[in-house]
Amino acid sequence: MKLQNKINIRFLLVTLLVFTVAGVIFYFALDRVIDHNIKGILKSRKTNIILYLQHNKTDSILLGSPDRTIFIRQIAKTEDHSFISDTLAYDEREKELIPFRKMVFSTSVDNNYFEVTILQSLLESEDLQGIIFYFMAILFSLIFLALFFLNRWLSDKAWRPFFKSLSLLKSWKISENRQISFDQTGISEFDQLNRTLEEMIQKMQTDFVNLKEFTENASHEIQTPLAIIKSKLELLLNDNELSGLQHKQLHDAFESVIRMSKLNEALLLLSKIENRQFIEKCDIDFCMLIHSRLEYLEELFALKQIEISVQLNVPVIISIHPMLADILINNLLNNTLKHNFNHGKIIISSGINEITFSNTGKPLTIDPSKLFRRFVKNNNSEESTGLGLAIADEICRANHLRLNYTYLNDLHSFILSC
Amino acid sequence: MKILVIEDEKMLCETIISYLEGEGYRCEQAGTVEMGTEKVNLYEYDCMLVDIGLPDGNGLTLVRELKKCHPETGIIIISAKNSLDDKVLGLDLGADDYLTKPFHLSELNSRIKSLLRRRKFDGQKEIIVDKIRILPENRQVFVQDELLPITKKEFDLLLFFISNPGRVLTKESIAEHLWGDFADASDSFDFVYSHIKNLRRKLFDKTGTEYFRNVYGTGYVFE
Repeated sequence: MKLQNKINIRFLLVTLLVFTVAGVIFYFALDRVIDHNIKGILKSRKTNIILYLQHNKTDSILLGSPDRTIFIRQIAKTEDHSFISDTLAYDEREKELIPFRKMVFSTSVDNNYFEVTILQSLLESEDLQGIIFYFMAILFSLIFLALFFLNRWLSDKAWRPFFKSLSLLKSWKISENRQISFDQTGISEFDQLNRTLEEMIQKMQTDFVNLKEFTENASHEIQTPLAIIKSKLELLLNDNELSGLQHKQLHDAFESVIRMSKLNEALLLLSKIENRQFIEKCDIDFCMLIHSRLEYLEELFALKQIEISVQLNVPVIISIHPMLADILINNLLNNTLKHNFNHGKIIISSGINEITFSNTGKPLTIDPSKLFRRFVKNNNSEESTGLGLAIADEICRANHLRLNYTYLNDLHSFILSC
Repeated sequence: MKILVIEDEKMLCETIISYLEGEGYRCEQAGTVEMGTEKVNLYEYDCMLVDIGLPDGNGLTLVRELKKCHPETGIIIISAKNSLDDKVLGLDLGADDYLTKPFHLSELNSRIKSLLRRRKFDGQKEIIVDKIRILPENRQVFVQDELLPITKKEFDLLLFFISNPGRVLTKESIAEHLWGDFADASDSFDFVYSHIKNLRRKLFDKTGTEYFRNVYGTGYVFE
């Protein structure tokens, strides 16, 4: 949920609660005021009637008012009583039952006893209450809506610098080596945040460049001494005066140097791909490429007696640096060969925008999600550098391709898709 | 045959020269573009090996220089950078081959030999070793005028051995020569073994001579 909405909802909920409570209190207050008012009216009418009774002869007293709100009845002496109650009465004008407040009291004038009933219509006060209620409701809704939009507008405005910074951050990639600069917002919190972000990004960028340069320089510098060691060992291996044991030991060293230089080469390649040093791209027909590589490898497959089935009928054209295309296909094909059984099977097939490399082989001993990580080897195979798939994955990532692994029906499959 | 080696890494340079001198070449060395330019202009060579990354400039300028004054000299670029652009540019400028460091000396030697064969004898030269006659251009091998049925890889293998006679060729360098980047596919040494076994049998059947010698299980020598 957006922060803005969250704040807005809370704010409006509180407003609604306040309005409701205020409304209820207002209603009761109004009720009390009206009640008081009606009581006042009734009391003054009572006083008037008493005065009227006292000033008129008993015989000439009208026993009811023309508007049928006062009824006077002569009674035998009873105790004084006076009460007020609510009642419904039929109203001629409104042609319906309407609520009345009724006051009944007894009074005596010259030993004549009267019971007087005064009816006071509540219709007007109810109407008044109704009007006030509707008015209040409309007012409250208007205030509510106004608050809602005001709040939205305000928070929109207040958060705008934040969203601007956020979108800048989202579009920023460390590998692009692009400086990022935030505008002055005039809001101290956001300015503080932006300053901190700028500093952090600068630091990250410097670290990243340093690390990148270090990896590249280190690999590059190591290459020359390795070449020297390798060639010196090769010269030594040709020395006829060596004993068998010496020869064996030299060869072990030679093997290790080769391994090391392969590893180094692979790391160097990885850092080059990561640094996006292969920018130039051209459209490459991967099916053709695979065919030509397969021809080259024919004997390797034949010696392992691997059955190859190639179904590359759908052409797959990918825009990529030619060297990376070569390496990618080499690594994937190499993988199908390296981890295969003798008398195994390899199936290479293409579909729309995807190529699948499947091969038989021992099930993985490692977690498939770690397959593309560096130096992860299945069965700890000695010859493997553990970088082949990492390189393939990195190439795919740099070229917006996807490389997925599945294991189905005893077949390891790598699906390259774009 | 005279070879100019332009490489700023002294020890590597010495090793290359020592190997090549063992092959009977006369070698000269230069460590900078300046020295290289001087030598290229003063003397004539059959082949030049040039490193791209030199302390005072790019080795490719030497390729241009050499192409101007002695276009018949063969050029092999050796570079620590496995960069396609350098490779394409180098070959475009007229270099004949491109090798990435670290390379096997036997591989370098075989490339030089093949280059010199193409340059000096228009590729038509026959290579005759004992009873074996090889036509590199036609990729054919004759034993006493009889065509030897041989696969593509077996031919490459034989030529590689013949280019490095009497040298120990390690299994690694053979595998790399035959399969390049695929050499590290597991079992490639088994493939080397099986190829050599086949080749050995074919030659032995025709000539009665054992040409290959296994060296302590680490490699083979052609004698």
